[in-house]
Amino acid sequence: MSDTPKPGLAALIKVPQYASLVLLVIVLGTFAALNGDFLSPLNVSNMLAFLPELGIIALGMTLLLTAGEFDLSVGATFGLVPVVVMLLVQNAGVDLGLALVIGLAICVLIGLINGLIVTKIGISSFLVTLSMLMIIRGAALYITQGFPLASWDQPGIFVTLLAGDFYIGPFRVYASIFWFAVLSGLAGYLLNRAKIGNWISAIGSNRNAAVARGVPADKVKVWLFVLTSVLAGLAGMISAFRISTASPVAGTGYELEVIAMVVVGGTALNGGRGTILGTVVGALMLRGIRNGIVLIGVPGLAYNIFVGAVILGMLMLHAALQNSGRKG
Amino acid sequence: MTKDILRISNLRKSFGSVTALKNASFSVGEGEVVALLGDNGAGKSTLIKVISGVYRADSGEIAVNGAVVDIRSTRDAMALGIETIHQDSSLAPDLSIARNLFLGREPVTMGWLGPFAPINQVELREAARTLMQRVGISKRLNADAPVSTLSGGERQSIAISRAMQFAAKLIILDEPTNNLGVEETHGVLRFVREMKAAGHSILFITHNIHHVFQVADRAVIMRRGEVVADLPLAGSDVLKVEGLIMGVDLKAEPAHG
Ligand SMILES: Nc1ncnc2c1ncn2[C@@H]1O[C@H](COP(=O)(O)OP(=O)(O)OP(=O)(O)O)[C@@H](O)[C@H]1O
Ligand SMILES: [Mg+2]
Repeated sequence: MSDTPKPGLAALIKVPQYASLVLLVIVLGTFAALNGDFLSPLNVSNMLAFLPELGIIALGMTLLLTAGEFDLSVGATFGLVPVVVMLLVQNAGVDLGLALVIGLAICVLIGLINGLIVTKIGISSFLVTLSMLMIIRGAALYITQGFPLASWDQPGIFVTLLAGDFYIGPFRVYASIFWFAVLSGLAGYLLNRAKIGNWISAIGSNRNAAVARGVPADKVKVWLFVLTSVLAGLAGMISAFRISTASPVAGTGYELEVIAMVVVGGTALNGGRGTILGTVVGALMLRGIRNGIVLIGVPGLAYNIFVGAVILGMLMLHAALQNSGRKG
Repeated sequence: MTKDILRISNLRKSFGSVTALKNASFSVGEGEVVALLGDNGAGKSTLIKVISGVYRADSGEIAVNGAVVDIRSTRDAMALGIETIHQDSSLAPDLSIARNLFLGREPVTMGWLGPFAPINQVELREAARTLMQRVGISKRLNADAPVSTLSGGERQSIAISRAMQFAAKLIILDEPTNNLGVEETHGVLRFVREMKAAGHSILFITHNIHHVFQVADRAVIMRRGEVVADLPLAGSDVLKVEGLIMGVDLKAEPAHG
């Protein structure tokens, strides 16, 4: 935790998020050494363009995992929201601003349903959100009949805010990176500094203990589900605006990639211990690996093998550090 | 007659087909130490979970300071001055000692932000240190260490020091000496006497009958969800109380060996 000051590099490496940070530097360094283009402005700009879309979802997922739950429906929400927004705008003539508000309401609804079923009926979040994934994805496919829609391609305040871009020197920077930065800062504050962060960690660590101290555990969980859905919808809109397409299958498999980012960063899959810094590092790492592996010439179809192997290696490393930390 | 801090009447609670609590009535007076006794599964933990707001009773009445109250949550119970140390671990192992001590009542700056207010780290650490000093564990333990690194007895001490800080009117201890070493056990019994001396009322669950005679004024005995006896300990003895717990008259039986 950030409030345990312990000097010395060896001690620092034992903190999961710092171990991930060191690994990130090693991974990026290796790719840079193997291919000079890895750190070229064009490639860095590319990596940073993709980063916020999964990274923003990963922030919500970090808080949710820390509280002991997770959400498999984020990828489907990422796909559904832009599709609904664009259908409303293009087929029903709804104003874009209003359509976005409706999209937001859909996210809140999805989160509420997930959260209420998990907390009030007591079904595991794995099963609830897996079912929700199928419902949402099915809905997106049904209302579009499976075809991608052209997304909003007119310039406008929303497009500029979410997916606008500009150049800093040779680097093409997207507005979404600022959203990611601000939201990361907020999430880090919530988890490490605010009262609610103490509650979130306590709920994931020992729910009964938290409840016995008057922590409204179920309420906190429900709102974390809502937050995660809203972030997934926001990420979906950013992506749709950036590529000017809203596809009903967008975000397929993102739920697992996001969870991988979070746990690679050092957040415990079974709750109680979460780190936003680790998640930012994890997001950078997975994006970096995906991009770097292609650049160094691994065949496109083979690269999931490497991504999976690297994730597995990272998790084994965290487990080893965790055990040595307990003995030491 | 002292005034009653807590009076419960005819509490009833079932879990599906299991009736854990059938007909529980008793009271705890001001400054009194009451031992709640009974064999495994008698309903003791269920009863104190109802009083502390973890469960809601199906029927019956709870009065605090003479007024009937509706305890809907652990928050309600705490607001009424009832602090509970539960039998099943009441700490979050991944949090630091300091953060556990103030869980749910974190000192904050900018309180108007509600749950989003920043925790006042300086105050948190100071208060934790003072508290740990009072219980005599400040030298051994670092307030920033996660609870997962502590022994069972150390955890129990943390839970007890947490109950001390809020100067509750009624402190409920569910088997607080379980898993404790000799010294820690005496620490808990000393704590009970000190709290009594300071005017707090205590409801104390234990299976150790000798501890009961060392600290309690009165024993309430439960069997299968019902309160079956309620007697002052002065003038009573171990055999009589054990007999009441088991539902047999041990004194009537011929003495063995
Ligand atoms: N959450 C629950 N769901 C179902 N049954 C329960 C639950 N909690 C308690 N019971 C049942 O209620 C009865 C009373 O349990 P309780 O924990 O109150 O006993 P106890 O007197 O505290 O026992 P011990 O001395 O072993 O701690 C038991 O039969 C138990 O199985
Ligand atoms: Mg019990």
